[in-house]
Amino acid sequence: MTDPATLGGGNSTEENDVEFPILCETCLGDNPYVRMTKEKLGKECKICARAFTIFRWLPGRGMRYKKTEICPTCAKLKNVCQTCILDLEHGLPVQVRDTALSIQDEVPREDSNRRDYLAKMANRLEVMGDPLDFSGKSQPAGRDMLKQMTRKEPYYKRNRAHICSFFVKGQCTRGNECPYRHEMPEGDPELAKQNIVDRYHGNNDPVAKRMLERARKSDKLKTPEDKSITSLFVMGMDKTVTQADLRDHFCAHGELKSVVVVPKGNCAFINFKTRAGAEAAAKAALGGCMVKSKPLRLAWGKPKPKGPDSELRRQASESSGARMPPGSLGSDTFAYPSQDPTAQGAIGK
Amino acid sequence: MPKIKSSKRTKQQPPEGWDEIEPTLTEFEQKMRDAENESTAGKRKVESTWTVMRVHHQRSRYIYDLFYKRKAISRRLYDYCLKSGYGDANLIAKWKKQGFEKLCCLRCIQPRDTNYGTTCICRVPKAKLEEGRTVECVHCGCRGCASSD
Repeated sequence: MTDPATLGGGNSTEENDVEFPILCETCLGDNPYVRMTKEKLGKECKICARAFTIFRWLPGRGMRYKKTEICPTCAKLKNVCQTCILDLEHGLPVQVRDTALSIQDEVPREDSNRRDYLAKMANRLEVMGDPLDFSGKSQPAGRDMLKQMTRKEPYYKRNRAHICSFFVKGQCTRGNECPYRHEMPEGDPELAKQNIVDRYHGNNDPVAKRMLERARKSDKLKTPEDKSITSLFVMGMDKTVTQADLRDHFCAHGELKSVVVVPKGNCAFINFKTRAGAEAAAKAALGGCMVKSKPLRLAWGKPKPKGPDSELRRQASESSGARMPPGSLGSDTFAYPSQDPTAQGAIGK
Repeated sequence: MPKIKSSKRTKQQPPEGWDEIEPTLTEFEQKMRDAENESTAGKRKVESTWTVMRVHHQRSRYIYDLFYKRKAISRRLYDYCLKSGYGDANLIAKWKKQGFEKLCCLRCIQPRDTNYGTTCICRVPKAKLEEGRTVECVHCGCRGCASSD
């Protein structure tokens, strides 16, 4: 009996029943009780055009039904959500994450090459588990930048129904029962021209470009409020740049108290004797300076510049203190009456 | 579908009282034919059958009303109408049940027709719907057939 799963050119990895799709929290919605339909080989992946299992669910009241758009193989290769094609960890576009972490796009664009590559990777993922690292452990600077850009709260507005194009033209005859939104499209029309394949591969994505530009501008070393900070944090270093090089470069702006190099993190700390000196150095190196033909990124150091180790330790203790057990706050507010543990039986109106 | 002529034995004369209801039934039949021949321009794919379902409901409703509510026709005439196909016996059987008095069509209570094994959205009372947006169910275009609405 010909197995339908193998008919599409040996796509036998989809045969292994996928229980749950790879999704981000915003796509799933605010309701913890979600009903999903599963359809094996329901549609073809928008990227690789292979048939895969689609999952379809309602991400909350008043939202449109969402479904998985790309196959799990494509999603795993880029560590993105199967529906929104945004990074699973940060919720950022692929282009933003890849530029921050300097990841190259290895998926070939041309059809036959792509199919072969994806088939090979699908097998490899199955056998070896996840070989690709997207956490950016090797790039702390990039990781910081990403952390800054991540949304703190899930953005459920993304799950709303699409705008009624007939309404925009003034021709919607469905009126009140129209399931699409009767609002005018808001936001920059430039950002509206998005293409799923471009967004996936991480090139020519207008949203990503906008985000990166904004990050670069805000990066231009705004002076911190704490007037006692006199240290600059240098990123993007490597073995060729020595302490002496940094000293030479920065002593021109002011007297240096110390220069500490952290080879493991490819970074360094420049501690100035005076605040004015630090500010002068920051202004001079707006956006990046070149030391020994190595482009460096500067940032203000965190308070109490004792040394790299103590800094990191302080940072770690600060962040862990602020973290509270999940679910302890806000457990009194319920989005759905079914979430109320004290409710007994059906709730009438 | 009505006015079936059986091949062998032509049916006996329609029972008494037929002449009073006959013009209305012909009107319904004309409406049904119009609905069947409507052009499908400007309509959604599912929307084209909605008028047919509506006329079917109305016709069955007429016969149900005559017999059960107004008691204006005899049992014999009622059975004759159902047999000749002027009213849907299955739909009328539902109307006799509590909670289904205003049921729109039989498709909307069929759980096999839905993704999650529920009934159609039109069966939900408007009070519970809590959205403020009118729904037209996909099967028959019904906007709410719960008995409380």
